[in-house]
Amino acid sequence: MSQSKATLVVGGGMSGISTALELSELGRPVILVEKSPFIGGKVATFNKYFPKLCPPTCGLEINYKRLRKAANLSLHTQAQVTKVDGGPGDYTVTIEVAPRYVNHKCTACGECAEACGSERDDDFNQGMAKTKAIYLAGHMAYPHRYVLDKEACDEADLPKIKDACKYGAVDLDETPQTLTEQVGAIVWATGWESYDVSKVDYLGKGELPDVITNLQMERLADPSGPTGGKILRPSDGKEVESVAFVQCAGSRDINHLPYCSGICCLASLKQICYVREAAPNAKVYMFHIDVRAGKYEEFYAKIQADEAVEIIKGKVASIFPEGEGLRLQVENIESGESLKVDLDMIVLATGIVPNTADLPFEATMDDYGFLMLGDAPGIIPAGCVRRPADVATVVQDATGAAMRTLTQE
Amino acid sequence: MSDAQNPEPELGEAIAEMGAETLYWCMQCGLCTGGCPWRLTDGDINKEFNARKLQHQGQLGLEGYESDNNLFACTTCGLCVARCPRDVNAIDNIRSIRMMLAEGGTVPQSYRPIVGSLTDNGNPWMETRDKRTAWIKDLDVPTYTEDTEYLLYVCCTSCYDARSQKIARAVATLLNKAGVSWGIIGEEESCCGESIRKIGQEELFTTLAEGNIELFKSKGVKKIITTSPHCLYTFANEYPELGGEFEVQHYTQLLAALIRDGKLKMDKDLDLTVAFHDPCYLGRHCDIYQDPREVLAALPGTRVMEMTRNRESSICCGGGGGRVWMETPPGERFGDLRVNDALAHDASVLVTTCPYCTIMMEASVLGLDKDEEIAVKDVAELLVDALA
Ligand SMILES: Cc1cc2nc3c(=O)[nH]c(=O)nc-3n(C[C@H](O)[C@H](O)[C@H](O)COP(=O)(O)OP(=O)(O)OC[C@H]3O[C@@H](n4cnc5c(N)ncnc54)[C@H](O)[C@@H]3O)c2cc1C
Ligand code: SF4
Ligand code: SF4
Repeated sequence: MSQSKATLVVGGGMSGISTALELSELGRPVILVEKSPFIGGKVATFNKYFPKLCPPTCGLEINYKRLRKAANLSLHTQAQVTKVDGGPGDYTVTIEVAPRYVNHKCTACGECAEACGSERDDDFNQGMAKTKAIYLAGHMAYPHRYVLDKEACDEADLPKIKDACKYGAVDLDETPQTLTEQVGAIVWATGWESYDVSKVDYLGKGELPDVITNLQMERLADPSGPTGGKILRPSDGKEVESVAFVQCAGSRDINHLPYCSGICCLASLKQICYVREAAPNAKVYMFHIDVRAGKYEEFYAKIQADEAVEIIKGKVASIFPEGEGLRLQVENIESGESLKVDLDMIVLATGIVPNTADLPFEATMDDYGFLMLGDAPGIIPAGCVRRPADVATVVQDATGAAMRTLTQE
Repeated sequence: MSDAQNPEPELGEAIAEMGAETLYWCMQCGLCTGGCPWRLTDGDINKEFNARKLQHQGQLGLEGYESDNNLFACTTCGLCVARCPRDVNAIDNIRSIRMMLAEGGTVPQSYRPIVGSLTDNGNPWMETRDKRTAWIKDLDVPTYTEDTEYLLYVCCTSCYDARSQKIARAVATLLNKAGVSWGIIGEEESCCGESIRKIGQEELFTTLAEGNIELFKSKGVKKIITTSPHCLYTFANEYPELGGEFEVQHYTQLLAALIRDGKLKMDKDLDLTVAFHDPCYLGRHCDIYQDPREVLAALPGTRVMEMTRNRESSICCGGGGGRVWMETPPGERFGDLRVNDALAHDASVLVTTCPYCTIMMEASVLGLDKDEEIAVKDVAELLVDALA
């Protein structure tokens, strides 16, 4: 193929961003396509990174700086690849881009949101808050440009929003675009979704407000999150005095996800630190089949040594409301005792499901639905859509994917 | 484990060979123990019985499971089997441990007369064969012939137990009303053997099953209707291995079809609020949830409530796995949980469709002193009440 053909990278999480940057910095043209209005993927919603407990913002900021400088890299947000024809070296792809209704003149001053009376569920905050219908996802949002959720916006608010912007950035007449591009290689990095816990009947079926997912915990602990970093019980805003982390909420279970999601043990160990810091008097439990800390055994050992944390081997068998709070039933495998534990909040360590919805090509998948390098369309999977992994690993994977695109030339 | 014993791996392997095929798949996570309905009760059995530990003892070939409160607590409700992350069949595993002990001659005191009665009379209720048709009384009940479409196989419980006989009569009345071609064999039938197999009496089960298969074949039986989900389960899942292939259905399945076809109609408005209890052997074991609900929905003026634990998550009545023949102390009965759940839904009738469930839950109604507030009925009995 000719050197000038671009690479298409689908998914703007840590994996996709990394592949795109590696290629761009090698002087290759790149088209980065992200489904949502902002990039960063799951990591952008995290409070801290394990095991060092530093905020992910610095890593993201470095990447965003590199992106701003990147030559030959075009980013399409609110975009989806709907068609892929051809093969390695010579693909024709169709990209559908939804309107943002806010153009490049936006300075993110926020006047439009001030003027907007309509609200929408805040997906960035895992549904635990509302944003205005015109919004930014978090203070770090990239691109740092507002987006209008027209469906959530009252007709009457539209002219008010438009008039509030003194830069003329709100463009209500924007229409969906269809782009056709010729590319030489495709990297698929659409990441993962949390396993739907409502499918696990004995863990509350997703019906109990104080039983939250680990993704919600990231937002609760974040100082810029819906509670300002306080760990409060969603049902009544009470500061938590007892919290349990329930491991393998769906993972390693033939009826749900037969595989180990790989990162939820470490995520819970990290989140135990959030609770210990934000609510130092709270009693913390972790229930598990076995703790898989991988290369971070020392981090696990440190938390085991904390007397306020009780780590108990036993798969939680039921969760139900009890008085104002929750009660959990589990067998302590080591002692053989049946325990009933009363709690303010339960965090489900929900597993990782590869995000392979609406693939526009015949994918090769492993037994669990993760993408594999298949020979048919030659598309290269990277990151969590390929296997569950932490950020350090997916970044390596992304670099590998970037290198592989070169071999397809 | 605190028990200071020497593991005997050969013993574990022997158990596995007896049918505990999934014994070694168990990863000792404790989900079965934690979710077992015994955890919802407060008493000695709750303290002594632990399905995870029992299977661990089995794996290691450790002895010490003989206590009835431990080895014979499992009601084979199947809740843990449905949820086990490793697809372990705790029922088969526990049954195999029971079988091993039974082969060594260990049979719990409460089960000895049952085993004796089944061996001598082909029924567990200590009655003679000739009384098997005593439930009929003044009803018009046809005898099965080559020209009959369905054999109605009445569960021993509904043949002999005075309360349960009403269920058999109700089913017969409905079949007559709908003009179904049906008949019974009667005296020559033996117990289906489902529950006796669960307590480890493999040989006795085989004798009973083979006797029935031979009998059914000799009469030219092709299609069977059962009154109990337990008979349904064993006919459909265990008889084929012994050469008995029949088309089997629970009577609620047939009635649902008859109602759909307009062949059976209930006209009387009962003006009742009822709660439906899913029998484990109809629901989790045979995957039938909709038919009984459909039948109940055809009752004019009857509000059918779903209990808190229903369908796949339903809780056992406490009568499966041979427990129907063993005394469970008040306060430890699963039936109490069902009755209280039904009462919490303002039901005046707790309706189910299994003779064991009816016995167990009725005992709970009496034990809880709630017989003024709630009655236990079989689906068939309610239907008959609503016939004009
Ligand atoms: C609770 C929790 C805490 C964690 N904490 C840590 C931690 O502290 N440290 C750590 O190293 N790892 C952590 N992880 C793991 C981390 O989340 C993953 O390693 C990381 O998200 C993988 O990045 P990714 O780009 O592969 O996927 P994602 O982050 O899921 O990004 C995928 C991107 O693709 C986009 N996309 C999806 N579908 C499409 C499509 N069809 N078209 C276009 N775009 C699409 C998505 O919108 C998203 O932006 C944690 C995981 C969990 C569950
Ligand atoms: S039988 Fe299943 S649920 Fe029970 S301990 Fe073993 S693996 Fe866990
Ligand atoms: S089958 Fe039912 S009674 Fe038996 S161990 Fe499992 S959950 Fe308990």
